[in-house]
Amino acid sequence: MRTSVYRPPTPDDAVEEQEDQEKQPTLQEIINIKLIESGEKERLMELLRERLIECGWKDEMKALCRAFIKKKGSNNVTVDDLVHVITPKGRASIPDSVKADLLQRIRSFLVQAAV
Amino acid sequence: MSVSNEDNMSPHMQLSSHFFGDLLDSIIVDVASECHRIARLGLDRNLEEEEEELRLSAQARVTVADPSNSGETNGKYVVDIFGQTHPSVANEVFDCMNCGRPIVAGRFAPHLEKCMGKGRKARAKATRSSTASQNRYSRGSPVSAYSSYSNSASTNRLSNGTYSHTVEEYSNGTCEEP
Repeated sequence: MRTSVYRPPTPDDAVEEQEDQEKQPTLQEIINIKLIESGEKERLMELLRERLIECGWKDEMKALCRAFIKKKGSNNVTVDDLVHVITPKGRASIPDSVKADLLQRIRSFLVQAAV
Repeated sequence: MSVSNEDNMSPHMQLSSHFFGDLLDSIIVDVASECHRIARLGLDRNLEEEEEELRLSAQARVTVADPSNSGETNGKYVVDIFGQTHPSVANEVFDCMNCGRPIVAGRFAPHLEKCMGKGRKARAKATRSSTASQNRYSRGSPVSAYSSYSNSASTNRLSNGTYSHTVEEYSNGTCEEP
């Protein structure tokens, strides 16, 4: 069977096949999988995105990016640079109401997932 | 909901914060990637123009500051009665009253062109209305201009019908009289 994308088996998978029960998935991983499979992660991300646009957070971040790009020249900027520019300010300037709302939803998911 | 005093966060809270941070990081990467794309594809016109203007005003300032340009047989630099030379490119910087950016005075005219022209879709609208009015007036006699105006209105058939109707009436009237 010839697939369109050739992806060599990752070493992790190969290892796990040999040593079957040595590596147990962590709690975080389990919950992550549950979040993704139920579609809740996607919903939460869209909700957070929407809230951040509404409160102007996204515009602030875009302004920071533009200022940085103007300084550095648009040809020398990498996505990595921009991520490093935005991350500290971004994490700090989330409105408390938005954060509390999302945390509440995540917590109720955890409760409902019986973890 | 009781929280023990020893723990700053219950395991649930820790886990929630971890996932919240996860979501936030993904969104931050998305925003950064979007801005990067806009910058690299040159989709942000304001950014391009600012870069160009910065470059040009830096250039202008270099030519002004260069001492070998002033005096000698350079025709641009005339000495006035007080013995002062004026640079050919005015190098005072002030803020544009339209967009608020600091602009070199010597580059203000081309800046205004771009600033007032491309800022909104006003440019497309302006050219459309100006060419429309030009077409109207260039048709010659004002009568034909009026008829062309009424034709362009949506009440096309109605106005034509009434017009021809009245014409017919008149012609009928004049025929019948004698």
